[in-house]
Amino acid sequence: MLRSGGLSPTDPLVARRRGSARLAAAVAGVLALLTLLGRSSDPAAQRLNPEVPLKLGAALALTGNANLYGQDQRMGISLAQGWLQAQPHPRRLVLQLEDGASDEPSAIAAFNLLIRRGVIALIGPTLSQQAFAADPIAQRQGVPVVAPSNTAKGIPQIGAFISRVSAQSSVIAPLSIDEALRRDPTTRRVAVFFAQDDAYSTAETAIFQKVLAARGLKPVSIQRTQLTDNDFQNPITAALQQRPQLIVISAQAVDGGNLIRQLRELGYRGQIVVGNGLNTPNIYPICQRWCNGVLIAQAYSPELNTPVNLAFRRLFAEANQGRSPGQIAAQAWTAYQVVFEAIQRVQQRGGFEGLTLGEARQQLMKELLSGRYDTPLGPIRFRPDGEVVQGRFYVAEVRMDATGRNGRFTLVREQELPEASP
Amino acid sequence: MDTLLQTLLNGAASGGVYALVALGYTLIFSVLGVINFAQGALFSLGGYLTYLLLGGKIGVNGALPGWGLPIALPFWLALLLAALGSGVVGLLVERIAFAPLRRRGAEPLLSLITSLGAGVVLVNLLQLLMGAEGYAFPQGAAGLAHLPDSLLLGGARIRTIQVLLLAISALAVASLSLWLERSRSGKAMRAVAEDPTTATLLGINSVAVVRLAFLLSGMLAGLGGGLIGMSVSLAGPYFGISYGLKGLAVLVLGGLGSVPGAIVGGLVMGLAEALISSAASGWRDALAFAILFAVLVLRPSGLLGRRQLEKV
Repeated sequence: MLRSGGLSPTDPLVARRRGSARLAAAVAGVLALLTLLGRSSDPAAQRLNPEVPLKLGAALALTGNANLYGQDQRMGISLAQGWLQAQPHPRRLVLQLEDGASDEPSAIAAFNLLIRRGVIALIGPTLSQQAFAADPIAQRQGVPVVAPSNTAKGIPQIGAFISRVSAQSSVIAPLSIDEALRRDPTTRRVAVFFAQDDAYSTAETAIFQKVLAARGLKPVSIQRTQLTDNDFQNPITAALQQRPQLIVISAQAVDGGNLIRQLRELGYRGQIVVGNGLNTPNIYPICQRWCNGVLIAQAYSPELNTPVNLAFRRLFAEANQGRSPGQIAAQAWTAYQVVFEAIQRVQQRGGFEGLTLGEARQQLMKELLSGRYDTPLGPIRFRPDGEVVQGRFYVAEVRMDATGRNGRFTLVREQELPEASP
Repeated sequence: MDTLLQTLLNGAASGGVYALVALGYTLIFSVLGVINFAQGALFSLGGYLTYLLLGGKIGVNGALPGWGLPIALPFWLALLLAALGSGVVGLLVERIAFAPLRRRGAEPLLSLITSLGAGVVLVNLLQLLMGAEGYAFPQGAAGLAHLPDSLLLGGARIRTIQVLLLAISALAVASLSLWLERSRSGKAMRAVAEDPTTATLLGINSVAVVRLAFLLSGMLAGLGGGLIGMSVSLAGPYFGISYGLKGLAVLVLGGLGSVPGAIVGGLVMGLAEALISSAASGWRDALAFAILFAVLVLRPSGLLGRRQLEKV
């Protein structure tokens, strides 16, 4: 059998010492450069030049496990940018996009970088878990943040500069459970799966379980998974031994898509309700024909016939081989639109005149929270704490085409929630 | 009894893939005494190549949306060609990340960084070309459409693809072991692994052996990527990285440079994961690495590793 011998080289001692000295000199040089850079003035204290376009930062997960959402968000923002910039607007705005990856340190680094570059506001990050880490940085420096898709509880409560355009799970989640129970009122045995290493999924499953308890249903099996899991043979076989009639999943697109596929492959034929993490057309190629029939509550429906949603749908289809947009892209469009319109309103009133960037950020935050917006999600506004107020929600069912590779979220039910109406 | 069988099957299926990845590391470690951190990226590459050879198209976030090869090969052929493709890229990694350092007599530690860099570049290239979206192999085009979704084996239910995965992994491992034991080139590789200087003096072209090790190692990673892609889809260009890390743990667990160790280590790791109840599944990786830790404390050379003798 093979054993390690190795073609190990030998290095002369003198060369090694010389190399160490060079390395030390290089490190000292880099440190000196960083110190000099650190002394540069705070962009928040600088006065805005009316001739220079304002910078809007976006930190999205373009790499890592959550990149599926990040790519959708980039698409949504890019389409909104093209559409809104084509209309007359008094203040120019340039977008600065940074990869916030799929973890907290990367989101923090992206926020810091964009804030140092002097952005007036930030869109992002992609995941709630990242928001809990990165938003406090923006809050401390007084930079408005609009979260496109952070639906976990407590995001706007991080601080006065934090807002979101994504309705929180506690508002939406019960709708899909109710639809499943309406379809099969005999349901008694429910199994729950959730990604325990994801802040959003753990928060969402708590909501799902609370709703189940309120409907008199106690889960017969609770299976904890992880975002990086892709083989679910163990938890599925454990859950199926309890003969569930309904399975409720809180996970993200890739792990959740695989979980659905393997549930069906291992013989589960009952109803499946999924949470917001699977609210993206990106699940279609993963669970393919096995996606059929999955129920999901949504804050967005492509079938909404308003001018702005029709424009969004058309532009999205043009850019995506005729595909229909999903909620993540719609929320990202909305986040850009909200910031863009608030900036234009402030500009029209001469509100940025003579202000420092820090003051302009405060001015923008006030305007942002006081406005009303007609978006692809429908009409929205904000509560004073930055929470979005959206009144119309949907329950959709995944329907795959004959090839089993493309599908759509078919609208099953539309629901007005009076207490949440703008 | 059914539960035990189910657990064994579950563990063996994932353990087989871990063993494949660990074997790739083992080959390179044996002849060079270094670890190729690009192994995870080659695993991803194997998955994507298999997908394209099966007739899959590039998604909307890729560099060429909608583009695909004008052919749709049967699964077995696609898997083999994709493994070969990964092997060729593995050779390229050797030329770029290892050979220049070796020629200059650099510390072996440096090649960890260069191979890590090569892996990151490869994964980013994959993302650029294929986009970030997940891909699943085309249904029906794989030549497996007539198979049932799952099989009932002695009261335990297992997905058919998992059975195939285990069988192909076992076949690959057995073929490799046989080749190392019986063939002339396999014996040459063992000789270089034992003592490169003596092997060279005996007329063995050690540079060619090193390249062969990289080719085979890349092929094993590519094969693993294709199999996992078939089983659970391609979860984005980074999906191979976690398998690469797990393979690394298996390599150490089984014993550095030991082929049987890589196989046993893979199965132990797979079974350990399968034995953990779902309530404690968050501790799965922690437990796997705790086992690794315990084995290394009791037996620092790994389960089947041989104690390294200090050469003076």
